[in-house]
Amino acid sequence: MNKFLMPDLGEGLEEAEIVAWHVNVGDHIVADQPLVSVETDKAVVEVPSPRSGRIARLNGAKGDMVKVGAPLVEFATEEGEDTGTVVGTLARPEEGRKSRSLAAHEHPAEMRASPAVRTLAKKLNVDIDLLTGTGPNGSLTRADVERAARGLANLGAGEPLRGMRRSMAQRMAQAHREVVPAGVVDEADIGDWGPEQDISVRLIRAISRACKAEPSLNAHYLAERGVRHVIERIDVAIAVDTEDGLIVPVLRNVGERDAPDLRAGLDRLRIDAANRIVPPEELKGATITLSNFGMFGGRFAHLVIVPPQVSIVGAGRAAGRVVAHRGSPAVRRTLPLTVIFDHRVVTGGEGARFLAALKADLERPT
Amino acid sequence: MAEISLVEAVNLALARAMTDDASVVVLGEDVGVNGGVFRATVGLQKRFGPDRVIDTPLAETLISGLCVGMAAQGLRPVCEIQFMGFVYPCIDQLVNHASRLRTRTRGRLTCPMVLRSPMGAGIHAPEHHSESTEAMLAHIPGLRVVVPSSPARAYGLLLAAIRDPDPVVFLEPTRLYRAIKEDVIDDGEALALDTAFTLRDGTDVTLVSWGAMIRETLVAAERLSENNISAEVIDLATLKPYDEETLLASVAKTGRLVVIHEAARTGGFGAEIAASVAERGLMSLLAPVERVTGFDTVLPLPQLELAYMPSVERITKAALRACAYT
Repeated sequence: MNKFLMPDLGEGLEEAEIVAWHVNVGDHIVADQPLVSVETDKAVVEVPSPRSGRIARLNGAKGDMVKVGAPLVEFATEEGEDTGTVVGTLARPEEGRKSRSLAAHEHPAEMRASPAVRTLAKKLNVDIDLLTGTGPNGSLTRADVERAARGLANLGAGEPLRGMRRSMAQRMAQAHREVVPAGVVDEADIGDWGPEQDISVRLIRAISRACKAEPSLNAHYLAERGVRHVIERIDVAIAVDTEDGLIVPVLRNVGERDAPDLRAGLDRLRIDAANRIVPPEELKGATITLSNFGMFGGRFAHLVIVPPQVSIVGAGRAAGRVVAHRGSPAVRRTLPLTVIFDHRVVTGGEGARFLAALKADLERPT
Repeated sequence: MAEISLVEAVNLALARAMTDDASVVVLGEDVGVNGGVFRATVGLQKRFGPDRVIDTPLAETLISGLCVGMAAQGLRPVCEIQFMGFVYPCIDQLVNHASRLRTRTRGRLTCPMVLRSPMGAGIHAPEHHSESTEAMLAHIPGLRVVVPSSPARAYGLLLAAIRDPDPVVFLEPTRLYRAIKEDVIDDGEALALDTAFTLRDGTDVTLVSWGAMIRETLVAAERLSENNISAEVIDLATLKPYDEETLLASVAKTGRLVVIHEAARTGGFGAEIAASVAERGLMSLLAPVERVTGFDTVLPLPQLELAYMPSVERITKAALRACAYT
């Protein structure tokens, strides 16, 4: 069965009224033969048959309204090609030239963030360069910006680093980029110490003796020139924690000074540091650093060497601990020690021997 | 009050204008005895006489030129050009005379003419009966371009166009002539020109169109609502000068814009809208402006006509693309 639908009669007409059929069921008709007359808003028109064949069914009677696209006539199935509405032969159109895809028009350019999203980011003070987008093609959405803004709000207002904290940030980052740190740790048994031993002074003395035993830790390494200076004079930088950050004034020539002199020097450094009146030249030129972090707590530490120095000594909290003492467990006062050295210029053996010398000096009663 | 089609609403408005104002005359090819190629002027000659409903020769230059002369001399001519493809001979009269009469005479003369023409595809007519070249006309300074999209708007806007002291090109979507019926009150009330109609309120995306494409656009808006997308549909109605404020307010609300027109893409009126939004509404945009348009090709023969015209599917897809940006 082959259906012929009510053709579009053009000019916007949606339906037509059947005026008269010109064929009957069973008729053999030829293409272009008038099938039916219909009346539109404009005129009575004849609808021609699109093909030859035998009529199987007519839809609609005189006076009926037929919608455009509704079945009008059904043809019995027969052999033979459906020539459609074309009478005679129509030359095939030439192959069209290939043109750019018209559909491409409807795919807009990718964008990182729409103007509205950028405006919102500006208003909320969010840097869109730091965000990852969740929109189409990774573009940023308003939700992305709002999430980031909420995150910022939860953190509170940030503060730009200034002064000592800024300088700490810069120096530590530089040290981290440059130095190859290695370390060894031990505990000195100071249970035999006499009364009124000053831990800081004893540590400085021990450092100066360890430096004499293993001079390669008291050195400067100028990495960019590939030059190492092993230094005879021992200038110890003392890490001092202040409210404004870390300050590291230098105690000079400790190898040549006695205990009261060192104590006086230390006291002056701490007061100057607390009052922020350490002259800049007093912050430069150290050959080794001591961090006596144990006065706040902790035993061992990952300390950071500040170039061009090549080592740093850390002292943990001195306290009574159970240790083996003369073949028996005993509670002894011990001082935890950390030595971090720059493995580019200090060998593991040098580091370990330095630590051994440090420990040996500290374990002396006086 | 009666349910009438768009072409009947045009007829109703013409009859009303002629009744109210003796200076209104209708002229064109077959508008009198025959009642017009689409029956827009049916019955008018019988009612108002051959002096006011004039059958002209097949000469569009003459028809439009006659209008300019009549308008300059105090009449309000409404001419009918049978198809958009026949408007081009009138371009000389529209550009060189109708649109400039006011400035050329320093305001001493105006040109209160209306040039009516069917517009658009979808009726299986030859390509020069199916065009949408409204952007060409909207480009002409001094010319108003109006496109109704429903019987009621056709009635109200045509009355406004006839009463306007300056030339108006009134483009009637052929595809809608008999497609929809609507209650139209013949109360002689004109609708405001230069004012867009918000046909559907929405918050997620603005769909702007005019003329016949309003039909597909409204269906697309309904489809989008099934996807929980709230589309605002704006019928521009007057293209020149168009209601930029309504459009910008909508884009400020939704952040997304899809312009739909049947006309070819390049230099279509959608480009003008996209440019305006880029100039004045950019900071509201969440997504690139989408244009759903006809293609840059001569309107195809009937077999491919529907493929040429923006479909509900294309409009829906464009809106979904825009709504992917949040």
